[in-house]
Amino acid sequence: MNLTSRQRKLAYTACIVLLLIPIILLGMPAEPGSAGGLLARERARDGLSESDLGKVDPASSTMSLLLLGFRGIATSLLWMDAQEQQRNKDWAGLRATTESIILLQPHFLKVWHFQGWNLAYNVSAEWDAVADRWYWVKEGIKFFKKGRDRNEKYAELYWYIGDTTGKKIGRSDEWKQFRRFFRVDPDKERFQGNADNQINTGQGRNDNYLEAGYWFLEADETVFRYGHQEHIMAPYLFRSYPVRAQFDYAGTLQREGIFDEVCVEAWNTAFKNWTDSPQPPIKVAYGQMEFDCPIGKIKFEVPLEAWKVLQAQDADKPDVGQRVTHWIGRYQSTTNYLFWRTKSLAESKTQTADVHRLLYEGEEAFRQADFSRGLELFNEGMAKYEKVLEDFPSLRNEDETLEEALIALHFWRDLLELTETDVPDEYPLQEIWDENPQRREHAKDEYKRRRRAPR
Amino acid sequence: MLDFSPQPYDWAAGFQHWLAIMVVAGVAAFVSALFISILALGFAGPYHVLVHLKGAVADFVGTSPRRCLAIAKLTFLEALRRKTLLVFVVFAVLFLFAGWFLSDVTDDAQLQVKNYVSFVLRTISWLILPVVLLLSCWGLPEDIRLRSLHTVVTKPVRRHEIVLGRILGFSAIGALVLGAMSLVGYFWINRQLPQSMKSQLTARVPIYGSISFLNNEGSQVEKGINVGDENMFRSFIEGNTKSRAIWDFANVDVSRFDQDRLVLESTLSSFRTYKGNIEKQLMCQYTLVNPKTNLRVPLAPFEVNEFRRNVYDVLAENRNVLQDPDGKTVDLIKDLVQDGALRVEVACLSSAQFLGMANPDLFIRLPDQPFASTYFKSIFNIGLMMVMVVVLGVVAGCFLKGPVATMLVAFVVIVGKLAHGFVVSLVTGDVQYNPNIRMQGRGMFEALYRIPTHLTPGVELQDSFFSRLIHVLDNIELNGLYVIHFLFPNFGLFDTTQYSANTFDVPWSAALLPSIATTLAYILPWILIGYFSLRIRELEAK
Repeated sequence: MNLTSRQRKLAYTACIVLLLIPIILLGMPAEPGSAGGLLARERARDGLSESDLGKVDPASSTMSLLLLGFRGIATSLLWMDAQEQQRNKDWAGLRATTESIILLQPHFLKVWHFQGWNLAYNVSAEWDAVADRWYWVKEGIKFFKKGRDRNEKYAELYWYIGDTTGKKIGRSDEWKQFRRFFRVDPDKERFQGNADNQINTGQGRNDNYLEAGYWFLEADETVFRYGHQEHIMAPYLFRSYPVRAQFDYAGTLQREGIFDEVCVEAWNTAFKNWTDSPQPPIKVAYGQMEFDCPIGKIKFEVPLEAWKVLQAQDADKPDVGQRVTHWIGRYQSTTNYLFWRTKSLAESKTQTADVHRLLYEGEEAFRQADFSRGLELFNEGMAKYEKVLEDFPSLRNEDETLEEALIALHFWRDLLELTETDVPDEYPLQEIWDENPQRREHAKDEYKRRRRAPR
Repeated sequence: MLDFSPQPYDWAAGFQHWLAIMVVAGVAAFVSALFISILALGFAGPYHVLVHLKGAVADFVGTSPRRCLAIAKLTFLEALRRKTLLVFVVFAVLFLFAGWFLSDVTDDAQLQVKNYVSFVLRTISWLILPVVLLLSCWGLPEDIRLRSLHTVVTKPVRRHEIVLGRILGFSAIGALVLGAMSLVGYFWINRQLPQSMKSQLTARVPIYGSISFLNNEGSQVEKGINVGDENMFRSFIEGNTKSRAIWDFANVDVSRFDQDRLVLESTLSSFRTYKGNIEKQLMCQYTLVNPKTNLRVPLAPFEVNEFRRNVYDVLAENRNVLQDPDGKTVDLIKDLVQDGALRVEVACLSSAQFLGMANPDLFIRLPDQPFASTYFKSIFNIGLMMVMVVVLGVVAGCFLKGPVATMLVAFVVIVGKLAHGFVVSLVTGDVQYNPNIRMQGRGMFEALYRIPTHLTPGVELQDSFFSRLIHVLDNIELNGLYVIHFLFPNFGLFDTTQYSANTFDVPWSAALLPSIATTLAYILPWILIGYFSLRIRELEAK
């Protein structure tokens, strides 16, 4: 068929128009009032578009487009750069490179995890000044938060924020300083004696553990909000973290020498949240949550009567794997459920708080060389401790209790020597002393350390 | 902090080295030319060589600046026609979006300044080089292909004037682009940087000394202790022992001090063997020593702020009173900085803890210069690198076609910029920052033997005829490589971003002078090569 130039051009145009129709139908973007073309609808249904994953970063999208197919190569080079910069202690370069990496890999969870951890733990440890270390811990937490903004469906990122805010601030060597900096940032010029509100958001009543608890709760809710499974740990462990943060909070108050009603109430709240009476913002107590096990759903908190009924039902089942009590016991053991239950119940009693206070004050008196007062306080504290252990016998074999009791006994015996008093034949906590000769030696190291410096 | 030691450039030794290479290369080229001419033209060949040499002398003596400038002007206009200035579009796009990438990277002022300045200088450098590379490599080959050069060579214009004109023209357009970019970059940094960080934009002027160490028994050693850091640039002194790091400063010009105040600045690393009091940093003490009279003045100790600048105003930190160990008052200028020589001993006072340092980590800080000073010096160095690329491109275009010339120049630039250190370590066997380690089994033939026999580099080859043969072959190959590596200029030398980004002034002797010397040293032989290539080439051969 012989076509003229004009006819050919018209034919091409017609073909282009014809091809455009399916492209438009398929690729039409979604707009307010319109679900868009087939691709847009499919993307929305499966939650695959950028805006579904989190806040869209235009720079990130631009970079990905500009690099065409070279994103992988560019990313690898940037990772190598980051490693090199860390080796050479080029912190400015490292920080800038991590930003570039996340522009290229904004939805790759491991990148956020690795670099956030790296900044908060590894880079911070390289610096000598505590204020500088604090700065890099904050950088790590802020990095996780940036990741959360871009990937709001990843429960893991909420959990990492909580974990770093809780554990890194509250348990590192610099925990005392970090907890102080959490409330009053050392960068006076910038924060004017206030907290850095990107870290201390006010959700945790000015305490890093309570702030961490808020983020753990967010992580828990994110799992249910989006139906995405988290990949850090088993659900029955993952969901315990909001209450565990409360345990940490209460325990840290004791470490800081706070034994008043605030501390007792903290343990009380923890007990309620752990068992069956959730306190806001927690909506469901941990013991009342239902978890999947091979034979159905189970709960951790089982009243004594109900437990007896379950035991009776299980008695007929020869296969242990079919017994409900077996699975409850197994899961409780994995989560240390019963220990924390007893511990929080015991600590929420005023007499337990008194024990800790007396032992703490006894130590202080020892360090101030007020030996007779110290001995008095230890005598009273140890007697009350014996009483608490009678009420909660399961605590007698628990590590923390043993360590606290043995250290107290070391102080007490030293005080006896210093006041030239003989060790009596019978004394409180004697059973613990006699039955744990190996632990005694271990506790001695900690006792020696504490003689020099406070906890 | 710098992770290299700025070394003053010995221009006299450099010039001698260059002259020797030029003489040897010149003689080799002459002998080769004679030999080739005999092969090509028989015994009339040498006569032709001499005619060309005589013509070359006449050409260079009769250089007309007017003709050079005319060609430069035409080259400039041609570059404009080729839409060179479109590079500004890329530049503008990068700077428009750079704020997104860099604005909230870090809250730390020193780190943020470093990011901004490095970004601007690197962007300018990586944008300008490809532009001038393409322009210069394609200029002459295109003229030859389109036969426009035929019209030019029929005019009373000498071949070297074509080469020089081209170089000047491309350099001028490059300078225009570079100037505009650098101005935009300068104002961009000033505008982007938050007000609170602007005080960090400065150019610190250091006087560097030379470092030596005493071990914990007080004996002179080459380096301090290695605490296991992967980067071995810095070494450490042990606290509360006789271990010292000693800096000797020569040519200290007291008149450059600000009101006779001696300011020492250091960036030291801390290494703890036990936690200690974490709220206190490690303690450091300087002792000023007059190396001639051996007068010693211990100064007030201070806490080391790791990775940060420890600025120590000697008089202010010691309440304006300096005393020797006997309590006698000492005058800083008259008694200590005599004849421009000063020694600073650094001791770590924290027991069983370590302080790490390298040569550039302590210096005498003179009054600061404005930031523009260091910034535009770095730009000047980028300009020199650009001129090098232009010259290389034009010269390559004299005897190669456009694509081949582009590949050649790109290869030389990439090797010179990114892999020069690697090439040097290959030919010398030195491992960077650790003279104690020598690369083993680095020859190609030895490697060819070791790989299939699974022999690690740490294991010596058994002495045999075969191993000796391998060493002979490797020596030939490595010496050849040693000669060849001089053909690749060290383009890394021109990159003074480290100074500007760390807000140091770009030093004349350690950075600017070597760049200028390198540019001149390479330009002259390259122009000669370009000239002779154009003179003897057949222009009809497209």
